[in-house]
Amino acid sequence: MAVSTIYSTQALNSTHFFTSSSSSKQVFFYRRQTNRRFNTIITCATQQTVVIGLAADSGCGKSTFMRRLTSVFGGAAEPPKGGNPDSNTLISDMTTVICLDDYHSLDRTGRKEKGVTALDPRANDFDLMYEQVKALKSGIAVEKPIYNHVTGLLDAPELIQPPKILVIEGLHPMFDERVRDLLDFSIYLDISNEVKFAWKIQRDMAERGHSLESIKASIEARKPDFDAFIDPQKQYADAVIEVLPTQLIPDDNEGKVLRVRLIMKEGVKYFSPVYLFDEGSTVSWIPCGRKLTCSYPGIKFNYAPDSYFDHEVSVVEMDGQFDRLDELIYVESHLSNLSTNFYGEVTQQMLKHADFPGSNNGTGLFQTIVGLKIRDLYEQLIANKETAPAEAAKA
Amino acid sequence: MMLPSPSRALQNQQPLIGSDMFRLKQTEPRGLRLVVAATAKYKGTKMREEKLSEMIVEKVKEATEVCEADVRSEECKVAWDEVEEVSQARADLRIKLKLLNQDPLESFCQENPETDECRIYED
Repeated sequence: MAVSTIYSTQALNSTHFFTSSSSSKQVFFYRRQTNRRFNTIITCATQQTVVIGLAADSGCGKSTFMRRLTSVFGGAAEPPKGGNPDSNTLISDMTTVICLDDYHSLDRTGRKEKGVTALDPRANDFDLMYEQVKALKSGIAVEKPIYNHVTGLLDAPELIQPPKILVIEGLHPMFDERVRDLLDFSIYLDISNEVKFAWKIQRDMAERGHSLESIKASIEARKPDFDAFIDPQKQYADAVIEVLPTQLIPDDNEGKVLRVRLIMKEGVKYFSPVYLFDEGSTVSWIPCGRKLTCSYPGIKFNYAPDSYFDHEVSVVEMDGQFDRLDELIYVESHLSNLSTNFYGEVTQQMLKHADFPGSNNGTGLFQTIVGLKIRDLYEQLIANKETAPAEAAKA
Repeated sequence: MMLPSPSRALQNQQPLIGSDMFRLKQTEPRGLRLVVAATAKYKGTKMREEKLSEMIVEKVKEATEVCEADVRSEECKVAWDEVEEVSQARADLRIKLKLLNQDPLESFCQENPETDECRIYED
């Protein structure tokens, strides 16, 4: 969809220059009128795609984070209709989510031969990733490869149209510097080892091939590559969602109650961090008390400025669980800078996906908030692009 | 029909306190295993589910053998990475069917209802 701006400039025979960006197409209508000194120019700017990067070690195409995010924009994200049923891509009205596993340069057999895991950059084609993300960002459709997670092979490519919002999700969205520079916003999902273990147990224990030992061994074996190649990306992220075991229950190792920290970089364009009560101060808040009764173990919030890899950040932290709707709305009413369109929007979004994991704790809450922040960023970016041509004309 | 969840099954065996967790019996009696409530709609999806489950058994066995020689070898890392990949693919399929009620073959089978894969699966 093209965005057109109509504006007037001064007569062409005056000494007036204006520059147009290479992505805009301009149509001139010159009308000679004696009583007017202005000509009308219609400019149509081709669509600019907003690119979001999400680093997560949780596979692609199913992540509940993606679904919460696309839901904020409205509409459900679905795999492309009529294509390869093993496609990892998700498409909704406004967003397209691409799985970066599709840029594997080595399939499962190839990786076995070379002795590299999927985490290793040598198994991924960053040149192709960069070219295609750049093309989509400039409004050009691409034929993107498909990595089939069932067969472990690279299938025939699928055609991807440039969306309004492109999300690239996977292990290496911020690994390559060129790709990093294309991102308008980036998120890193940082799961601590204890929580990762608990989640993988929940995920795999029902499978007859697995046991506690095999799950543990799999995590341990992947750890060196994970620490070397994936973990360092978090220093580049604009927002990090850190998931840790709770501090409210001593010696808890079930991983059901979680402590989740939303680490937000300061000074990022179009991104204003969420805060509690007083921006820039340090606040510790237990909402449960006289006005709100919570069941064990309750809820605890913390907010403070901090430093993260030499960057200034603001951190909002939630430990505990929501039990009832009114706890959620109470918490929402005390958080500031949420970028909601109406009061209660966070709660409404959480309720929409009440059956998703994390809906009763900080993971769901902060994922939803990040989704709203991305919507806010998108709207600001688009608004900024629309005013830019007009300003160039005024200059 | 309500089937017991693994956590309840584990509770029946031993309490989950600290290191006691690792003393749980590794193989659960078959009757207490979790069965997904929402199942595949098409035969092709059911086949994929079964294939992935079998691959997990195979690849865990392979990884255990390969790593007996040297836990820090490349072969060992790659073997467990394959286990992770297939486990995640299995979980993704389960989530699609259970949480989202989407059979991945839905759109393909609308176009090609006569293929073997698109026969409606009946338990």
